[in-house]
Amino acid sequence: MNSTLLNNILRFIGLLLLQVFVMDQVEFLGYICPLVYILFVVLYPVDNNRWSFLIFAFIIGIIVDAFQDTGGAHAAASLTLAFVRPVFLKLVYGQGYLSKNLKISKSPLDRFALLLALSVFIHHLVLFILIYFNMSQVLQVLQMTLFIGLSSIFMGVILFVLFGLRGKS
Amino acid sequence: MQQIINFLIKYRNLLLYMSLMLVALIFTIQSHSYHRNSFVHSTGNITGSFLSSRNDFNDYFNLKEENDRLRKENAALRMKYLANGDTLLGNEISLVFTDSIPYKVFPSRVIKNDYNKRDNYLTIDIGSNQGIDVDMGVITTDGILGIVDISNNRFSRVISILNSEMSLNAQIKGSNVIGSLTWNGNDPYTMSLIDVPRLAKVTPGDTIVTGRQSTTFPPDILIGVIKKSQLVENGSRYQIDVELFNDMTNLGTAYVIKSRDVRAIQVIDTLTVVNNE
Repeated sequence: MNSTLLNNILRFIGLLLLQVFVMDQVEFLGYICPLVYILFVVLYPVDNNRWSFLIFAFIIGIIVDAFQDTGGAHAAASLTLAFVRPVFLKLVYGQGYLSKNLKISKSPLDRFALLLALSVFIHHLVLFILIYFNMSQVLQVLQMTLFIGLSSIFMGVILFVLFGLRGKS
Repeated sequence: MQQIINFLIKYRNLLLYMSLMLVALIFTIQSHSYHRNSFVHSTGNITGSFLSSRNDFNDYFNLKEENDRLRKENAALRMKYLANGDTLLGNEISLVFTDSIPYKVFPSRVIKNDYNKRDNYLTIDIGSNQGIDVDMGVITTDGILGIVDISNNRFSRVISILNSEMSLNAQIKGSNVIGSLTWNGNDPYTMSLIDVPRLAKVTPGDTIVTGRQSTTFPPDILIGVIKKSQLVENGSRYQIDVELFNDMTNLGTAYVIKSRDVRAIQVIDTLTVVNNE
């Protein structure tokens, strides 16, 4: 029980540092910076206590907001992701994921990639709608969602392969 | 009563979601409106020192380029100074460095830069301890950068010229034709000069500089060149695409400008308004 908590705290701090110090500096093709901190929200342990989950998702979002000067866009996006994650879990892992004592960080890669793709899509869509905040720039919102989303999925899968499978052996 | 409690327990996640979402939306809306003190910003001591240490590391990658730029600027300033000394023989040093100079310039480093959002902000590593105040202009060697928005004791946040809320007074060099400089949110290398009267002489290739009506920037700071112009609003006004001299995607050193005359000009302006009424 304690190791899950410790893992979570390490993931929270590690992903934030990775986001602020490395990923925000990538600027691939001039504007593509992968958002890796959402892995914290995606990989948060599955249990019935959604109350703390929502609060933690909000906190990690607001910290990223403080570094990027985006007001509350990241907070709103990761909060929304945390709220709809049970729906995605049901879609990806089937109806009885709660009773099967599911551990997302130890699930097969294809299932995880599917979950990550769904999560990234909803998160980035909310995020860029709030960042642009202008109905006339819908096309740009979709374009950013697609390109930055692809980079986030790519980085997320790489991090999952690098760090996620180690716990299995 | 029992039903209300049951309702609260049943929908507690939804209620928490909606209340946190409301907070996040309020922060977002605040961040999109000009000159509102926002709660969450990168100027705090913790975020500031994180960003500044990140920048310390990145500085090493651009040392050569930055040195080149500063050398060029030094040469240009030296040339100006020599020209000055030529005409003002004798006591030029006391003339250049007296307390009554109209503008004070503070050097600073850009520790955070954004250019791909619609409302972009920069963070620089000097603050109110160094004498920085809100509404001061920020420039670089090549052109203008923005206006100070929030000033903490050690760091300040600057509204970039690449911000949809930004509107600056600018004019075509060599004439007194003025317009407002705005950004449409797409290309970080181009801005548009709007509200230029139809009778103005607009030629592609002309230089755009800051206007005399702005109290934040000194006049004749370079902005960019005219790329393309077209008549809008039934041909009554020009809309001009301006290609910036400044590469907003690559910023190192920035200079904050404190004008001596801001207070005086503001007092005069309010006096005229009172007299008109």
